[in-house]
Amino acid sequence: MKYLRLFSALLVILMLAGTLVACGPSGPEPTEEPTEEPTEEPTEEPTEEPAEEFVPMSYSAPDCDYGGEFQTIEAVDEYTIQFTLCYPDPAFPSKIAFSAFPINDTAYLEETGGGGDVVDHPIGTGPYMLSSWNRGSELVMTRFEDYWGEAPAADTLIFRWNSEAAARLVELQAGTVDGIDNPGSDDFDVIEGDPNLALYERPGTNIFYLGMNNTFPPFDNERVRQAFAMAIDKQRIVDNFYPRGSIVADQFMPPSIFGYTPEVEWWEYNPELAQQILEEEGVLPGFQTTISYRDVVRGYLPEPGVVAQDIQAQLAAIGVEAEIVVMESGSFLDAADAGQIDGFHLLGWGADYPDATNFLDFHFGRGASDQFGAGFEDIWAALDAGATLADPDDRYPHYIEANELIREHVPMIPIAHGGSGTAFRADVEGAHSSPLSNEYFGVMNPGDREQLVWMQNAEPIGLYCPDETDGESLRACEQMHESLLAYEIGGAAVVSGLATECTASDDLTVWTCTLREGVKFHNGADLDANDAVLSYVVQWDAAHELHVGRDGNFTYFNALFGNFLNAPE
Amino acid sequence: MAEKTETKTTKRRSHRGNSLWHDAMRYLLRQRSAILGMAIIGIMVLIAIFAPLLATHDPIISMLDVPEEASSGIRRRDPPCIHLLGCPEETPQHLLGLDSNLRDLYSRIVYGSRYSLYIGFASVGFAIVIGSVLGAVGGYVGGWLDNVIMRIMDVLLAFPALLLAIAIVTVTGPGLVNALLAIGIVSIPAYARVMRASVISVKERDFVTADRALGASQINILIRRVLPNAITPLIVQGTLGIATAILDAAALSFLGLGAQPPTPEWGTMLGAERNQVFTAPHLVFFPGFMIMLIVLAFNLLGDGLRDALDPRLNR
Repeated sequence: MKYLRLFSALLVILMLAGTLVACGPSGPEPTEEPTEEPTEEPTEEPTEEPAEEFVPMSYSAPDCDYGGEFQTIEAVDEYTIQFTLCYPDPAFPSKIAFSAFPINDTAYLEETGGGGDVVDHPIGTGPYMLSSWNRGSELVMTRFEDYWGEAPAADTLIFRWNSEAAARLVELQAGTVDGIDNPGSDDFDVIEGDPNLALYERPGTNIFYLGMNNTFPPFDNERVRQAFAMAIDKQRIVDNFYPRGSIVADQFMPPSIFGYTPEVEWWEYNPELAQQILEEEGVLPGFQTTISYRDVVRGYLPEPGVVAQDIQAQLAAIGVEAEIVVMESGSFLDAADAGQIDGFHLLGWGADYPDATNFLDFHFGRGASDQFGAGFEDIWAALDAGATLADPDDRYPHYIEANELIREHVPMIPIAHGGSGTAFRADVEGAHSSPLSNEYFGVMNPGDREQLVWMQNAEPIGLYCPDETDGESLRACEQMHESLLAYEIGGAAVVSGLATECTASDDLTVWTCTLREGVKFHNGADLDANDAVLSYVVQWDAAHELHVGRDGNFTYFNALFGNFLNAPE
Repeated sequence: MAEKTETKTTKRRSHRGNSLWHDAMRYLLRQRSAILGMAIIGIMVLIAIFAPLLATHDPIISMLDVPEEASSGIRRRDPPCIHLLGCPEETPQHLLGLDSNLRDLYSRIVYGSRYSLYIGFASVGFAIVIGSVLGAVGGYVGGWLDNVIMRIMDVLLAFPALLLAIAIVTVTGPGLVNALLAIGIVSIPAYARVMRASVISVKERDFVTADRALGASQINILIRRVLPNAITPLIVQGTLGIATAILDAAALSFLGLGAQPPTPEWGTMLGAERNQVFTAPHLVFFPGFMIMLIVLAFNLLGDGLRDALDPRLNR
């Protein structure tokens, strides 16, 4: 009897285990199949294809009415790609040099379906290739031996991150990292006083602003926004909370970049008048709002919490009660882009390429996100006019107009152009800071050490940079991916990249780029013009099956090139 | 009949209570550490009550908004400046220095005592009320109700307290009141268990049986006989619990989930200035020291009370 009971209990357990075993694999099975099949097919095909014959790829918009910049992107021959634009674009080389437009391997894009692995395991042409990405701890890259250019000195490049300026400095001082981004405002002198460390100051080619979304009352009222513009004492913020080299912003454009117009003066600080206007408009007394920010250090905002509290105090001084809301970085950016943030939000922008279009068109142009609510048609008109002219002297008046209109409509309140810097161990050769925040580690030599460890503010979000806007992600991409053109190391001038040169027709509407020969991707595939065409097309055509990415926003493409083809309504 | 028992028992209870409390108090006052704890708590309570008189500045106003201060060349994170100790007269006096937003640290510390005491007493009070009701009902009624209540308590206990508090605040949204409720909720099981254990041991005593035989209602017996006799361990647990609650609240605020800036809550202040531990240590030291002090005080008093009220330690 006893044995019978024991036996039946065993039987039940066995049966349970059996069902568990049977149920287990049935889940993953169907998902495995489709991923396996495409991996085999496309990897084989391209290795055969080039041996046979190069079939140039061409992609065209039916007409230019869709509102974007591209009309045709085509491969003329194996190493020539031609862009036909709907309107002239003098900033085109600057744009295509940007790391949001890297050239990916066609086979790899197709294999990954334009998302998923392409975000986590990028395959590029850059001097470093991804070795491992341990989410939450570090990103390890190794030297790519078949790199077309000069091989980097360090075998291994490691990206780590820490949001605390003090912690970054401690790691640098301890020698566990070779370089850090954004030392704290108070640490500049400490670093300069230390013979083992070297400071590389980065000029303030950025903007920190207080954003407002004009779809939420009372921010839908222009006078209210103007009043808030008068209520913020920017000088006080810059004097007290920014490192040296920072300046007060009196417009969205930083002074060193084309599009800055000293003719335009911002609203004068006048809290009494601001309070009076707010009372006239019925906002005060008793207005309660929020100040949202992400607790992430950037060159434009070295101490987010402190600045947020100072703005809170300044608003309290005119009777506005603002609650501080700290959000997670990714969801903050998504909410801002989607226009979901009521109240004020603290955000900034660092130059990606040195042109007004990078600042103004991205934020206030036709293709801008809903961050500030509904756009302003008169600003659009001025920016469109400026963006399509070739001669800087002709463009300039349009930017005066645009900056004047931004002052008038106050979609945001510009506050500061923050100076920042990088710090490296003194023995790192080739260390630098870049005004575009795209430090390039391939040229750095960490002396006798085999690996170069870089510590930045935050972890990259994804490594498929067409679908990223975060500088921390872009910097990581820039070590592994390359675009058709590039920026001079430590500077902002456009130099050759994967293309040896790009030439324009006289009216700046047809750009022809000649690709470098013998460039290999990290997976061994050869670069040809079709790779370049497809890399653009998957971003351009919203209906393309590979238009997937991480979240599918492709924010930079939309903002820099006007609109997607087949854009969803 | 009912009236008669009433008078009889009150007499007996008051006699018993008197001697118990009297003994306990006498023994408590013999322990130096408990007296120290009481003294610190007493001082903290006085500071909290008279904060507006003791503070030299408004705790949330930036010195940049005070014209005579702003023009005197003060910088943020200035170390303490006390005129009596040789700080130059022309520099404005700030007893504990300035914080990153140029607010007077001393005034913030003074006002901070209000929040810590408030959180400590309110969250423990909340937990005691809910926990002892649950524990008493469970212990007294027994059966499946007891089982259900205590299993729920076990589930709550299975989570690390702070982690569960963080989860609750994440759902309800950050803020002082939400943090307080979260800490209250996670400390309920401790009180429920203590209460249940004492109720079970008391309810079988002869005087309870006698009451039952005399026909007193269940509720009456629970409230008038069982609860008063089960309350001593609750007091000890509660006093120690205040210390934990203050610490947990400081931890939540440090993580940005509790009191929101510019509230001068010690944990929030500590969290906001944690990067300045090397550059401006006073900003981290003083709030941290105050948290340590008040938690220590409640722990000392709690330990003293436990020794004084524990019948097993017969002296």
